[in-house]
Amino acid sequence: MKYLPLIWMGLWRKRGRTVLIFLQVAVAFTLFGVLQGLKTGAEHAIAAARADLLIVHSRLNFGIPLPIGLVEQIRSVPGVAEAIPVDLAPATYQKPDQRAVLVAIRPDPGWLSAFTYTISPAYVRAFRATRTGVLVNADLAKQYGWKVGDRIPLKTSVMQRNGSSDWTFDMVGTFTDSDIAGGGRNILVNYDYMNEARVGGKDTVTHFTVRITDPRAAAAVSDAIDARFANSSNETRSESVREMAQENLQSIGDLEFLIRAVVAAVLAALLFATATMMTQSVRERTSEIAVLKTVGFTNGAVFALTLAESAVICVMAGGMGLAMATLAFPYASTFVHGISMPWNIVILGLVSALAVALISAAVPAALAARLEVVAALAER
Amino acid sequence: MRTLRQFFALLGVSLSGLALRPWPALTIVIGVTCAVGVLVSMLAMGSGARRQEVSYAHDDLVAVAEVGQRPLFGNISRDDVTAVEDSPYIRRDRDGRPIVVRELMIPIESRRRGTGARIFTPLIGVTPNITAYQPQMRFTAGRMFRSGMHELAVSNTCTRLLSGFEIGDRRSIRGMPWTVVGHFGADDEGQCTMFADVNALMSAFARDTYGGLAVRLRSPADFAALSAALKADPAVHLFAQRQRTVMADSFKGLNSLLDFASYFVGTIMAIGGTLGAINSLYAIVDSRRRELATLRAIGFRPGAIVASTLCESMLLALVGALIGAALAWMFFSGLAASPFGYSFKLDVTPALVLIGVMWALIMGLIGGLLPAARAARVSVTAALRAV
Repeated sequence: MKYLPLIWMGLWRKRGRTVLIFLQVAVAFTLFGVLQGLKTGAEHAIAAARADLLIVHSRLNFGIPLPIGLVEQIRSVPGVAEAIPVDLAPATYQKPDQRAVLVAIRPDPGWLSAFTYTISPAYVRAFRATRTGVLVNADLAKQYGWKVGDRIPLKTSVMQRNGSSDWTFDMVGTFTDSDIAGGGRNILVNYDYMNEARVGGKDTVTHFTVRITDPRAAAAVSDAIDARFANSSNETRSESVREMAQENLQSIGDLEFLIRAVVAAVLAALLFATATMMTQSVRERTSEIAVLKTVGFTNGAVFALTLAESAVICVMAGGMGLAMATLAFPYASTFVHGISMPWNIVILGLVSALAVALISAAVPAALAARLEVVAALAER
Repeated sequence: MRTLRQFFALLGVSLSGLALRPWPALTIVIGVTCAVGVLVSMLAMGSGARRQEVSYAHDDLVAVAEVGQRPLFGNISRDDVTAVEDSPYIRRDRDGRPIVVRELMIPIESRRRGTGARIFTPLIGVTPNITAYQPQMRFTAGRMFRSGMHELAVSNTCTRLLSGFEIGDRRSIRGMPWTVVGHFGADDEGQCTMFADVNALMSAFARDTYGGLAVRLRSPADFAALSAALKADPAVHLFAQRQRTVMADSFKGLNSLLDFASYFVGTIMAIGGTLGAINSLYAIVDSRRRELATLRAIGFRPGAIVASTLCESMLLALVGALIGAALAWMFFSGLAASPFGYSFKLDVTPALVLIGVMWALIMGLIGGLLPAARAARVSVTAALRAV
């Protein structure tokens, strides 16, 4: 501890250089934090996806209708806590590229527990009370400027009995979705209303969302549900929501090689920069180090002092860079929905900063330690 | 004139001096190499995606879609198709039939080669006149699907990216086996495209409408006329869109993401590289204090010293840029990337190398300014007294 002032003085010996190297390390670790954060954040998001939810859809293909009547059979499978029929339909608002997804559900008691949505109780009541009512994902509502109470015209591929495929809904509330597997464009619709008003596809759904009592039994319950419908005219396939999240974030996995290459390049460049700085610094201080040794500092102490100097600046700058990365992360993560900066990246970053400091300062520190007092002082 | 002569003399001295103290110079070169290498290889993804986007979209190819729907996602009846086929603006094939391809898109499930991860790829049901619509389509193995049969013809990209698409493989679609009968594609790039007979697909999925139409115009100039004719016809609910526009729309999100990522990362790395360059140049200038003071004492002008220091910095940056671009080209050019379900090859073009070089020169210039000013300000008496 008593050497701290010494290290500090050493750092500020050349103010300009220290500030520059500090900024350089900070910038490098900002990038490190954002890139590694995206990668690890995606992994975390997968792990955080609800393991107790299953999606049961047609074995033939996702999107092929199943009769809504299967819901009773699914509910009777041991391990199933809740099964909610869901019918999906794509829709557009005003322009073909303004997309939305209609999620028609039956608001049976307990339906909310089988979804990743957060909805205020007042909205849930309004939704159940209004046949034409819809709940809109808060992000989507903001994007299209919809307010509660608005009437929302949507174009769909679902034909109504009156011959039109344009539907008008009453927006009764908003919701947020903690799921990362897309869903940012979802609009919740009353299934009964949609089912009665449409011409074709009556009493069918695209899938059932199933909540199971024990998340560890996901595979077994999936198999049990699929076995129940095996060789029937409606064979099913059950998958866990977590599995689907994994597939959804595959895109980041594809970029992994690039992220790794960039991070490697950043650290390599940094290693050289700090090594040069420390070498330069040691060379300039030849006589000072000789004096230190004359007054009794051992070779080991000089070695440690040099390493410490490099470590202090790199770790401090790394910490600042990672802090900036945490601040910048919300902007970078708009491209990947719903992930946040993982804390272990901050720790990994600080450890990397320390490693960069120690590796790059090793050679200059050894030079300083091996300095011959007589020769060094004689140069003056 | 004298300044210029001094400048070259100084530059020569500086550059030969680098060999004595290689580390600071090497730091500049490596910093720039990393920044430019990363920038160029990331931009290469964007240029790869863009090249693929335009390679397919000739100006005479037009997508006809239902009003209010995206292409391929509509419900187009047979009557609507007839209305389009009767249009005079459509090119005719050798037998005199209009080149109107009826299409239906069905997403099917596939497994990635290697990882085995599941992805959904579009299977497009088309009429056999797709070969007249895309005359550049060449089969490298097998043949086209036959009408009415459960057969698939897939592009070579599919076989490269996905497992289970070798000729003779059977895919289960809607519970029925469909056989892969042909591979096409001039080279193995582009998005994975799978074709099947549209009528077989429609009966398998119990549909009686098409999702979209792809038509070939008599000449690209007929687009406006076709567009106006469709709009004017009250019986049909269709609109025309150039395939180029459709492709650009579908790539818009990817391109803006890639561009943002490239320049965001590139800028941050450039800032880091510039800071490193400033530091190293300061070190170089400091190590030359005596030389510089001597030169000043014998009559070298500050202007020549500033110019030669800046030039030295930019030359080092240029070397770094060339190494960086070369590394990007060696490691990444031609490498297939398939982010977000798109697939394309990274493409390191001369234009990208030029961007990298410009980037590096700016880094060298900015990095050299302060150290150059210090070099010119070296106090002759103070520096020489220290000797």
